[in-house]
Amino acid sequence: MGNFLDENITKQIQEVFSSLVNPVEILLFTTQKDCEYCGDTRELMEEVCGLSDKLSLRVVDIDKDAELAKQYHIERSPSIALLADVDGARIDNGIRFSGIPAGHEFSAFIHSIISVSRQEPGISQETQAFLDSLQTPVHLEIFTTPT
Amino acid sequence: MALASPMVTSDAIEATEFPDLADKYHVSGVPHTVINLGEGNMIGAAPEEMLVAEIQKSLQK
Repeated sequence: MGNFLDENITKQIQEVFSSLVNPVEILLFTTQKDCEYCGDTRELMEEVCGLSDKLSLRVVDIDKDAELAKQYHIERSPSIALLADVDGARIDNGIRFSGIPAGHEFSAFIHSIISVSRQEPGISQETQAFLDSLQTPVHLEIFTTPT
Repeated sequence: MALASPMVTSDAIEATEFPDLADKYHVSGVPHTVINLGEGNMIGAAPEEMLVAEIQKSLQK
């Protein structure tokens, strides 16, 4: 048993992860410099990845691999990008998490993994029509706290 | 929404870990959704239709 997920939570996550379809890579960006939550985030991600063989974790040091950080528009640590592997193609839906996705944010994180794996946005037809009409990029930053 | 459109990206930010960023957007309560670097804001839960309306508003600026 890990430090973050107890037996009960582990069972619940394994149950919802049975709906995973495509493999998902959790790309975690960390730094050695002054990062209070990088270690905890890595540990949490290792525990989450251990709950399904559809998940993999890749840890990247943003200082050593600045090019990759730039490619994924990463400016902070810890940051997480969720990437799907659909028929051999790497899909980046532009979904990021900055900071440890624990507490309240944890269930949103787990649901994001499932949505990315299934490539199912779960939105209404009206919203989809609006999004299809977008001519300019829209970047959403959703601030949350763990408690 | 990010899943539904290549034009949309999202970042769920833990506010206490990045206080400078939270201050920049005057985040005092959570959840707080910032659209296009402050062009739009939604404080509190963001139901789909309301978020769409706020995005539309911020794109018209």
